[in-house]
Amino acid sequence: MNDAREIQGLKGVSTWSAFCATLRRDLIIALKRRNDLLNPIMFFLIVVSLFPLGISPDPVELSSVSAGVVWVSALLASMLSLDNLYRADYEDGSLEQLLLSPQPLYFLVLAKNIAHWLISGLPVVILSPLLAYMLYLPSEAYWTMVLTLLIGTPVLSLFGSIGVALTVGLGSRGLILAVIVLPLSTPVLIIGAKAVTDVMFGLPVSSHFALLGAILALALTMAPLASAAALRISVN
Amino acid sequence: MWLWFAKLGSPRWFYELSDKWLPWLYVSMLILMSVGLFWALLIVPEDYQQGQTIRIMYIHVPVASISLACFPLMAVAGTITLVWKMKLADMVAQSVAPIGAWFTGLALATGAIWGDQIWGTWWAWDARLTSLLIQFFLFIGVIALRSAIDSPDAAAKACAVLAIVGAINVPIIKYSVEWWNTLHQPASNFSIDPVAPNPPEVWVPLLVMISAVYVFFAIALILRTRNEILQRERRSQWVIDLVTREKNV
Repeated sequence: MNDAREIQGLKGVSTWSAFCATLRRDLIIALKRRNDLLNPIMFFLIVVSLFPLGISPDPVELSSVSAGVVWVSALLASMLSLDNLYRADYEDGSLEQLLLSPQPLYFLVLAKNIAHWLISGLPVVILSPLLAYMLYLPSEAYWTMVLTLLIGTPVLSLFGSIGVALTVGLGSRGLILAVIVLPLSTPVLIIGAKAVTDVMFGLPVSSHFALLGAILALALTMAPLASAAALRISVN
Repeated sequence: MWLWFAKLGSPRWFYELSDKWLPWLYVSMLILMSVGLFWALLIVPEDYQQGQTIRIMYIHVPVASISLACFPLMAVAGTITLVWKMKLADMVAQSVAPIGAWFTGLALATGAIWGDQIWGTWWAWDARLTSLLIQFFLFIGVIALRSAIDSPDAAAKACAVLAIVGAINVPIIKYSVEWWNTLHQPASNFSIDPVAPNPPEVWVPLLVMISAVYVFFAIALILRTRNEILQRERRSQWVIDLVTREKNV
């Protein structure tokens, strides 16, 4: 009797408030773990600063590769932080509770993905002009780079979420996650980096933005469905 | 129709049916392959631009066309696995992944040999080469995922999801790299007109080779699937009967 009332109570929770609760919970957990929060950003900084050491400190050479370097580093930083997305929840059992909740899993997964992007993607976007400056990116390309990253990094979180959901129950998932997620992320990388390079040559870039936007729309609608299906498979 | 569908899902039924198909497939592959290879390698005239290297096309194009067909096939098999939980579909999906990876690798290798002759370079970051390379990585991802998951049931579903996601992504990757960089020639149009740039004497043997390689692919897929059936159904009575009968003969 009591159980039935509780289930009734849960059903009374609207999808929207469940969405907000999941988002809030993930953000609070992330803010309490300062190290986990800082690691992807530090990783992004370090990887970007390795390129001048590996290629050359020459401003001309660096500025020609700067767009690609920032984009690839953002991709790697996003992937590195993906593991946090479901693992802790899987280990302490709260992921199962999430799957059992009566609200559509699509929205709960979407909330977790948005939280992941706010924690790992947005700082990268904010930091990117600084790194672009260090890599001698021409100043007219700054806005394009920030905007492509702003549209592109959520796609990386959404695609990455599918990979993590598929591998969350596995023992050794680090490398396999990279093998699954990186090929899926290539279109975003190609279009994003190409837009920044085109701006440097004074070419129009609105088509690149349209494509990135289309990919983001597709990822927003489809990727959480795939993640939800994958979570159901992994948790069983 | 539904009865037929249910029957198709039974591994045993497929095993017995493919027993009857295989001899026909072997014979037709032997004929097509020998006719096609003989025609393509010895009879087809030299290309006025590419000389003898045009003959690489007769291997490269069939192999590449199959490598492109493998991912959609895997996604369809994955969908059937997820929706109807058909055992056979997952066995096919599992068998097609390594074959697809091999064919993609072969297409890249033959393309590299051809490219070395025509473009003067083994590898270029050209759209088709790049998208094929990424597709190769996707196949590796599917194979790695399957080998990483212990429970066969979970592995089947997880690979099905990944195959479907990958199949949606393959065209996106293809178009994005096409806008990015293109060196590869577009696919040629074939015509029956003998004075056209591609007369029948060039494309008819290509057609023969394509069918030959398709039959070869079908045989490889069926043999792999049959192995998989025996492996997974090894505890069922009909497999035990089959094996002991073969031992006694």
